[in-house]
Amino acid sequence: MNTAKRLIPLIGASIALMVLFRILVPGFLNPENLVDLVQQISVNAIIAFGMTFCILIGGIDLSVGAVLAVVGTTAVYVLGYGEAETQSLFRFFLAVGAGLTVAVLFGAFNGVCAARTKMPPFIITLATMMVARGAALRFNQGRPISIPAHETLFLGLGNGRIAGVLPVPVLIMLVILIISAVLLHRTRFGQHLYGIGGNREAARFTGIAVGRAEITVYILCALFTGIAGIIATSQLYSAEPASGAGFELNAIAAAVVGGTSFTGGIGSIPGTFIGAIIIGTLDKGLNQAGVHFSYQYILKGLVILAAVYFDVRRKR
Amino acid sequence: MNKYLPLFVVILNIALVVPGCNQKPAGSIDSPPPAGKETSGGRLFGVSFQTMNNPFFVELNAGLLEVIEAHGDRLVTLDAQFNSLKQKNDCSDLVLQGAAGIFLNPVNWEGITGTLVHAKQKGIPVVVVDAPVKDADLVLCQVASDNVEAGRLAARALNEVRPDAKVVILHQSVNKACIDRVDGFKEEMAKFPGMTLLDTQEGKGTTEGARPVMRDLLSRFPEVNAVFPINDPSALGAISAIESAGKLDQVTVVTVDGSKEAITAIRAGKMYSTSAQFPREIGRVSAQKLYEHLEGKPVEKDVKIPVKLITKENADAFETAPEPAA
Repeated sequence: MNTAKRLIPLIGASIALMVLFRILVPGFLNPENLVDLVQQISVNAIIAFGMTFCILIGGIDLSVGAVLAVVGTTAVYVLGYGEAETQSLFRFFLAVGAGLTVAVLFGAFNGVCAARTKMPPFIITLATMMVARGAALRFNQGRPISIPAHETLFLGLGNGRIAGVLPVPVLIMLVILIISAVLLHRTRFGQHLYGIGGNREAARFTGIAVGRAEITVYILCALFTGIAGIIATSQLYSAEPASGAGFELNAIAAAVVGGTSFTGGIGSIPGTFIGAIIIGTLDKGLNQAGVHFSYQYILKGLVILAAVYFDVRRKR
Repeated sequence: MNKYLPLFVVILNIALVVPGCNQKPAGSIDSPPPAGKETSGGRLFGVSFQTMNNPFFVELNAGLLEVIEAHGDRLVTLDAQFNSLKQKNDCSDLVLQGAAGIFLNPVNWEGITGTLVHAKQKGIPVVVVDAPVKDADLVLCQVASDNVEAGRLAARALNEVRPDAKVVILHQSVNKACIDRVDGFKEEMAKFPGMTLLDTQEGKGTTEGARPVMRDLLSRFPEVNAVFPINDPSALGAISAIESAGKLDQVTVVTVDGSKEAITAIRAGKMYSTSAQFPREIGRVSAQKLYEHLEGKPVEKDVKIPVKLITKENADAFETAPEPAA
């Protein structure tokens, strides 16, 4: 299968990286360190799955980092509203629901603008990024809002471990990985997205509802971002209105390293997952090998550059 | 094979660069954190700063490095870039690697709680530098400038030149250090009945933030003759507003930090005083406290590093050999 073949060099590169860091850092491949690695990439990977859909149809979503912040602040605002003394299931679902609703609204706005106007997605989402950031900063004068300590359910989303082993964020990420992969690689909707990314006009002529698919993609991307936002907020024990800056770039990097083409029509969810693993491995490995942070930036830049170079050559 | 070349080039790069800047062997993840009384060198320490885009933290890092390298150990410096999640990940990398100790300058004073719990579980001591954390119980100690005293010194200096001062404060009220400075300033001000506080405004702690606020204050209060901006950058912004209003000789500026720019302004007569902080000393003391703990000695929870008043008289001496007050 074509997708599987594309994954081979990526898998090779991630294994090579892990072996390299195993040599430099004794115990790099210890189970505990590996579980921590997957847990560290979970927020970025979830956003990157959504980003892959956007890039695949020739779009982009720059608003994800800011939407992540506004989701977190909204959820924690609802959670703390009225200063309840104990947690309740109702309030928990209300908070998570409110956060995700805000995300979906931003996604729907991005999608409708992208589908129904001639404005480029880059500009649309650049603008909604600013709007979302401003909305997040409206809460609590821009200061972090604490999650009440009795909200163990909400705090468990980011910090809990199932059976003391599997971190909850990793489980959520795996579920979204499977849903996204099935949606993109096993449904007609997924095929349509490849069609739109390959040739938008041709896709329209073959009867694909391009606009509707586009709106769905932006909503999905925002929804995933919302889920990532809930996890990140829980992990930080507080909602930070200023958080998430630059997260869009990390997500784009994971998608691109994972073989998603910026011209649209090429990319896969497993590829993006491996892309996120490669970036996470670099982050962790370079930290633990004691590499100065200045070199870390340079090396990560080179990896992204190499991945894009590779991507361009492949299409020649 | 040829088409995979770039990937291998990058991996080769990493293989070359990583050992190049890391001569000593990395700490082992398999080994438990070093036991208390061990004094042999080669241990790993880590520090995570909220940003390295600030000379203050570069100096603080140099102080840490000075003490740690003198012990034959090594320090990994990580830059969180104001990203709490990155800081959390960076710290968990250090914890899982079995670092002998971690120095932490938190981005978000409660966002770091999960990391502190994790470090505590693994028995790794954490020393908080410069900015506080919410759960003081989870850390070994917190080392910071004596910010209350910095505010007191500023008020005292102001009283010497302007006992009749009509003061405005340019605050940065989200920052605990600045809250302490203003508390100290007001506390000391209350002892001088000639001084009155006209207003407190948000100067955002930056030059760009302070300038327009000061401009407004100057036109609202023609009688204002003193300003306490809570740090050097906002003082420079205030001075620029005062200068363009032509009131340099009427308004006295007293502030906190001790940066090079402030020393220049003091020499030029535009600023009266700055209560200097000693980031390098904060770094040195933080490292010493951690070593004392590793040797099994008790360490106090809250360590305050003295600040020193800098005026025209001692500006030259301070610039050549900055040393904290005894």
